[in-house]
Amino acid sequence: MASPPEIRIRSVGTELPGPPVDNDALVRRLRMPSQAKDWIEAFIGTRTRHFGFDLETGEVNDSLTDMGEAAGRRALKAAGAEPGQIDLLVMGTSTPDTLLPTTASQIADRLGIDSVPVYQLQSGCTGAMQAMAVASQLLRGGGYRNALVLGADTTAKYFDLDAPVKSLNSGAQVATVMFGDAAGATVLSADPDATGPVLRSVFSRLVGLNRAPGHTMNWYAATKPDPDEDIAGEDYKAIEQLVPQMSVEILDELLAEQSWKAEELDYVLPPQLSGVMTGKIARLLAQTVPGAQEVSCVLDTGNTANALPFLQLELLLPMLRPGQRAVAVSVESSKWIKAGFALELEG
Amino acid sequence: MTSIEDFIGLIDEELGLQVTAEQVEATFDQIPDWDSVKLLWLATALEKAIGRPVRFADLLEATSLGDVYRLAVATV
Repeated sequence: MASPPEIRIRSVGTELPGPPVDNDALVRRLRMPSQAKDWIEAFIGTRTRHFGFDLETGEVNDSLTDMGEAAGRRALKAAGAEPGQIDLLVMGTSTPDTLLPTTASQIADRLGIDSVPVYQLQSGCTGAMQAMAVASQLLRGGGYRNALVLGADTTAKYFDLDAPVKSLNSGAQVATVMFGDAAGATVLSADPDATGPVLRSVFSRLVGLNRAPGHTMNWYAATKPDPDEDIAGEDYKAIEQLVPQMSVEILDELLAEQSWKAEELDYVLPPQLSGVMTGKIARLLAQTVPGAQEVSCVLDTGNTANALPFLQLELLLPMLRPGQRAVAVSVESSKWIKAGFALELEG
Repeated sequence: MTSIEDFIGLIDEELGLQVTAEQVEATFDQIPDWDSVKLLWLATALEKAIGRPVRFADLLEATSLGDVYRLAVATV
């Protein structure tokens, strides 16, 4: 029996909407006290983020579909792939424009992708890995050659620019200054002639048994929101406690699975929660892989959830030399999901 | 704000957090529901109460509410 084909990352494309919004501008617009800038710098650590809406008026300039289309188009162009060569589309998001049609199918339509399976996963920070895992398995099955994999999120529906920030729960206040909008995409290929790093492994695994959710995003339709129920919540104390250790476990698992020694890893892509948290986790991971260079984007992009690993991949790929290896680590605190991938540029 | 009792009252009023005099001298991690968000809003409330700026950078050195109180009083 023939061994399953290798999966290669042919390209990456991303979209960060609008200009970067620094902490000064965000604090001013949200009418937060002047000390909030110092608070963000000390406890969140993020410098800038991008929004798909006008910070002054709240008007949405870039929907999730717009951002996903832009990222997908860039990934296709970088791969030199025509829409007709895409056999499969998988997208992860926690913030679709509409529940139906799915944003994934809207993006497919914009890109001219049709008559192929299109899947949308309801996912958070591990959504990129979830989508890559689903696409990889389908590609390995032999029925498809090229997959467009997307991850994107928008904060537009969760941002009430006129609500006093102090009236939000602590978790929501943290989230307000921590998250940003972005989309990312990659073309994965099982084509034996494809070039690019080999995706040696990708996984996501629920580890939420008997654990309370760490991150909650509510949604409403015709029914009115329950006044006692928060629209969003974040148990950042649980996140601070659990994510660093889980990150180490994911790194260890991927190294062991690939039989890679710690000194053989060239790059590590840590979880991108916030500048402060990512810094802590990166220092912890460096205890295992001291020679691996950190590849992070969160200081400049904020936490863009489903888009994050694509933003990190876009930074990584131009640096990756033949023979080099990288591991990406992600933890989703919603109901607690561990995820990661390992890649290698053969040489 | 001239006393620790005033300070405890301010915390209750502004943050909805009831702390005892003993908890004022406990480290932050020993106070249920304490977090950095509350430090931000306490800084804002303190500025109003004492009528002078409170440097957030100074508050970052505080390990307890008592430290925060002494910083605020020293500022007056």
